[in-house]
Amino acid sequence: MKSVPKLIRRFLAILLLSTTLLFFLNIIVLFTLNLKQTPGASPWTTALETGAALQRSAAGEGYVITETAASELARENAWGILIDNHTHQVVWHTDNLPPDIPLTYSLADIAALTRGYLNDYPTFPGESANGLVVLGYPKDRYWKHMYPNWDYHFIANLPTYILNTLLVNAFLIFLIYFIANMKLLRSVRPIAEGIQKLPTKEPVYIKEKGLLSELAAKINRTSEILESQNYQLKKKENARANWIAGVSHDIRTPLSMVMGYAGQLEEDCSLTEAVRQKAAVILKQSSRIRNLINDLNLASKLEYNMQPIRRTHENAVAIARQAAVDFMNLDIDGKHPIEWKTDPELTVCPVFVDKELILRAVSNLIQNCINHNGGGCTVYVSVGLNVPSEDCQSKEQGQGGRYFLRVEDDGTGMSADELQKLNQTPHYMMCDSNIKDQRHGLGLLIVRQIAAVHGGNLIMRQSLYGGLSVDILLPAS
Amino acid sequence: MNSNHLKNKRILLVDDEPELQNMVTSILSKEGFTNIRLAASVRNALAAASEFQPEFAILDVMLPDGDGFSLMEQLKRTADYPILFLTARGEDEDKFRGFGLGADDYMVKPFLPRELVFRVTAILRRTYRDENPVVTLKHCAIDFERAEIQNTKSGPIPLTAKEYAILHTLYRNAGRIVTIDALCEAAWGDNPYGYENSLMAHIRRIREKIEAAPSKPESLITVKGLGYKLIVL
Repeated sequence: MKSVPKLIRRFLAILLLSTTLLFFLNIIVLFTLNLKQTPGASPWTTALETGAALQRSAAGEGYVITETAASELARENAWGILIDNHTHQVVWHTDNLPPDIPLTYSLADIAALTRGYLNDYPTFPGESANGLVVLGYPKDRYWKHMYPNWDYHFIANLPTYILNTLLVNAFLIFLIYFIANMKLLRSVRPIAEGIQKLPTKEPVYIKEKGLLSELAAKINRTSEILESQNYQLKKKENARANWIAGVSHDIRTPLSMVMGYAGQLEEDCSLTEAVRQKAAVILKQSSRIRNLINDLNLASKLEYNMQPIRRTHENAVAIARQAAVDFMNLDIDGKHPIEWKTDPELTVCPVFVDKELILRAVSNLIQNCINHNGGGCTVYVSVGLNVPSEDCQSKEQGQGGRYFLRVEDDGTGMSADELQKLNQTPHYMMCDSNIKDQRHGLGLLIVRQIAAVHGGNLIMRQSLYGGLSVDILLPAS
Repeated sequence: MNSNHLKNKRILLVDDEPELQNMVTSILSKEGFTNIRLAASVRNALAAASEFQPEFAILDVMLPDGDGFSLMEQLKRTADYPILFLTARGEDEDKFRGFGLGADDYMVKPFLPRELVFRVTAILRRTYRDENPVVTLKHCAIDFERAEIQNTKSGPIPLTAKEYAILHTLYRNAGRIVTIDALCEAAWGDNPYGYENSLMAHIRRIREKIEAAPSKPESLITVKGLGYKLIVL
């Protein structure tokens, strides 16, 4: 499973990004909340401002506070007192001073209220001209840290500590996440491997345990169903191919006798010419049936992958030459002469193929030329390196690194429309619907199948000689 | 090419179809092969073989009491003579098995009578060639036993090993085109690619030995781009 490291990397990146984002978001939220909770000034500042706002009265007895400072205290619902520097007596206080607040203070009291609370009221001292102003806020207004002291070195190294802490935190989060994910991925891995294996038609079994046991069970069931379907399909295909093989086997012996006696009658000089002609027709048609049986057998085996392919390193020129010579040696009446059109300089075209099958394919093409041009035609056979051509009708013809084995003729050929129809009409062996226009004849189908099992293909077009031209394209080895 | 000496070879034909036996017999008889013994089963074939001492056998693969492959093994134990399988089993595996066991040829039914005669003659000629070591051409004769050309004008001309191999391959397929590749293989063995120019040089030298006018060959014909053909009288 190649995507697992990628998946882990992506998960971790998302995790780190979201953690960082959350961290800053939290700080912002905390800061905003703090601002919202304390809309006014800091109580320490208010205490200092109150101290500055306290003035002796014009009569010289007592103190008065400015309107602004008074209204600020009233808004905050805070009370205030002024403790005289010398007498430690309260010499001024606001009207809302709670009754439990003492009016005389020792130094210890002042130190205590400065640090924390006075009768549970959070208190904040501020300097005034003649004393100390102390503001008291409602009991639920502020929470005070009463012992705010830290080691100096701790504070001095605080940035480093914070950074290290953050890094350790990040590492721990990473570790926890990694372990948790690995565990999950470990249980996902066999599931993913199973799913990837399903299209290969191999049987899949995943242990049905752990987090994803339900999923594993479903995949196992799916594999079983697929296996069963493949088995049934293969069984049907084998049965069909075996049926064709069996029928063709059973036809061979009676057909031997038809051909044997027809051949003898054809050559029997004691018979009349008309009778010998009839015998020749029987022989010719029997040969067609024989070829059809052979083709049908091979086509069905190729179609159902039952034909063993024995690949060896071969010379495409030698194979095409052999096919041409086999026909030339048989062409007794000379109606279908074969011309070799391969460049004399090209003597070796190495291909990795099943020689017998390629020989069969080229022979089929030559036989096609003969079959479709009963009146006679010249067959041209050539082999060469396939090069991109500007006028080629097929994209595939432009592929490089391939050899073509070309068979063409100067016979009747086909029009462009007929060629297109031939290329588009499905063959009856491949057709799974009741289309009326199915293609018959197995010669070209076999050639196409043989080319396909060798990683090649077939190109049909009009020949420069006037007839049909067919190329078998094979990858160079 | 004179092959009369082959016509009286003893031929054992094994097939369980009487009609096919009759037909094959009539085809071969018509071509002059008269010494034919028939058998319809493995048991009959073994009995006929020990009595008839065949020099060539045509076997079917599927027989009522066994198969042609095992029959061939049993026949070969007593005497070594050529065997042709004539069967309806056309699978590659069967062909390979037959050839692997040492069969000389394998023909799948149905077949053309002419093809059967040609193959039988070719096998017999190949096997019993020593009985006719001198092959007559238009302007000379080839004595394969002595590996020389017999020319009435210039006397005997020896053949080199390569010339012998090429000529012998052409002779075995006399009257038929033999591809350049098959001739190269005969002369240089497996993987015979890239020897075409050498082959042409050897052909030229052979023509100088067998033709009256090497530039206008009458016995060793070139089929352009494909191969050569030996015309034997």
